[in-house]
Amino acid sequence: MIEVQKLSKNYGDRQAIIDLTFKIEKGDVVGFLGPNGAGKSTTMKIITGFMAPSSGIAKICGYDVFEDPIEVKRRIGYLPETPPLYTDMTIEDYLNFVANLKNVEKVRIKGAVDKALVKTQLLSNRKRLIRNLSKGFKQRVGIAQALVSEPEVLVLDEPTVGLDPKQVAEIRDLIKELRGEHTIILSTHILPEVQATCNKVIIIHEGRIVAQDSIDRIEKLHHGAVSLNIRTIKNITELSLLRRVAGVKDIETLSETNYRITIDDHMDIVSNISKAVVDSGAGLIELTPTRGNLEDVFLKLTYGQNQKASPNEVV
Amino acid sequence: MRGALVIFKKELAAYFLSPLFYFISFLMTLLLGVMFSSSLDNFHKSASNAMMQFGMSPQQQNIHYGVFLPHLSLVNLLMIFLIPALCMRLLAEEKKTHTFDLLLTSPITSFSIVLGKFLATLVTIFGLIMVSMIYPIITSKLASFPWAPTIIAFLGIFLIAAVYASMNMFASSLTDNGLIAFVLSIVFNLAIWFVGALSESFDEANAKKVMEHISINTHLAGLIEGTIRSSSLVFIFSLIFLFCFLTERMIESSRWRA
Repeated sequence: MIEVQKLSKNYGDRQAIIDLTFKIEKGDVVGFLGPNGAGKSTTMKIITGFMAPSSGIAKICGYDVFEDPIEVKRRIGYLPETPPLYTDMTIEDYLNFVANLKNVEKVRIKGAVDKALVKTQLLSNRKRLIRNLSKGFKQRVGIAQALVSEPEVLVLDEPTVGLDPKQVAEIRDLIKELRGEHTIILSTHILPEVQATCNKVIIIHEGRIVAQDSIDRIEKLHHGAVSLNIRTIKNITELSLLRRVAGVKDIETLSETNYRITIDDHMDIVSNISKAVVDSGAGLIELTPTRGNLEDVFLKLTYGQNQKASPNEVV
Repeated sequence: MRGALVIFKKELAAYFLSPLFYFISFLMTLLLGVMFSSSLDNFHKSASNAMMQFGMSPQQQNIHYGVFLPHLSLVNLLMIFLIPALCMRLLAEEKKTHTFDLLLTSPITSFSIVLGKFLATLVTIFGLIMVSMIYPIITSKLASFPWAPTIIAFLGIFLIAAVYASMNMFASSLTDNGLIAFVLSIVFNLAIWFVGALSESFDEANAKKVMEHISINTHLAGLIEGTIRSSSLVFIFSLIFLFCFLTERMIESSRWRA
């Protein structure tokens, strides 16, 4: 569906993206993850034919973005970082215009506009001028604009930025709903978003892909280690008792009554530890197993590399 | 071609649904109304007074020269400043509001974008010229005169206005700042008049001829007198084509620049 090979883009001396290669299958929802300035937007701009790459190939549905730009653009709905809105139009007029612009057949335009309005819950606001809309509404109009031509591929650049939590949840639900109908790429630096909506992640850092895989497998990159956060009433006098439990790798004393124990991923060990803590007489209040999640992997893959070099730079 | 039509309709709506067009028309009628009635009055006085006719050139006794040409030169002067006001937003605003991204990621060619925008501007300018046409039409109720030279003169002004429009659209494509586009447009519009003045500073005969030929003045003069020369039309259409082409190149080049 989307095929990118050795894609590079330079802005003068600065290399925005370097030799990106990835492949996205039909129906995938792919999260493009990376810190600010990692090259997410640049990649999206190239995929949508908005910008030419310095080198490399990008293909959408078998059409080269550069050789057959019109064919590619017919199949793409794109929400840029700033929604491209004509503020002196009403939502409905604007969507009509976009549908016309995207070559939607004349007879299907009304239906397509209504469908986009319903999906983005803008139906009751259709007659409002875009100028007077709040940021959240504008963002939704931007998404409606990308949907209106019913494209095979949806490219959404930070679709939930600037929205309130309820709207964010709505947009995520919308993206989940769209799954299957469209192949979706969305960029974000917000991790829960990827976890909530995507089935595949591409983590990009300083213009290079540092990881790409399905979410489950990426999470396992951090392998099976699980850590337990333990809170007690009194301090545990004999930590060596805990250390003796099979499977315990490490015990950290965070404060007098807080401990973090790293163990192998096995539920028997958790119960053994809880028993040991209770036996020690310290009084167990809380025991939370935390699995290595996407966030850890992300931080490790991106900021982690910098941290070793210059810890002060990372805020 | 549907893309060009879509852009054309959208731009036309933007011109005629915004107050700017009507405000400009209002200013034009205000100025033209004062100037036209005073020059018509002067012409009437001199024509009705046999004494004043003595020693006047036959040109000044002609309503075309005495009234309509001053009227048209004022229209031209207004166009130099008003067309930049109309055209400055054409592409500069698209860039500023990021709607340019939408156009560039839609299945239409840069050529369609330029064509749609330029044709919509032409229709708008035609509307403005029609507003200035009101005065000769009213005059025809008071006096009878041959229409042909007047219509050709108006066509001349319309063609010159089309040249302005193409240059100003190009100016708008150079920047994302409407004000810069506006100022640049005025400089362009004035520049094509100054080129003619340069011909005086050349001694060599051929150079002089070249400068005269590329001066818009030479070409407009013929049209205004009521003669259509094919060389003038070719020159004017080449200018329009050149700037539309440059605009198209500017749009296309934005893919290559950051």
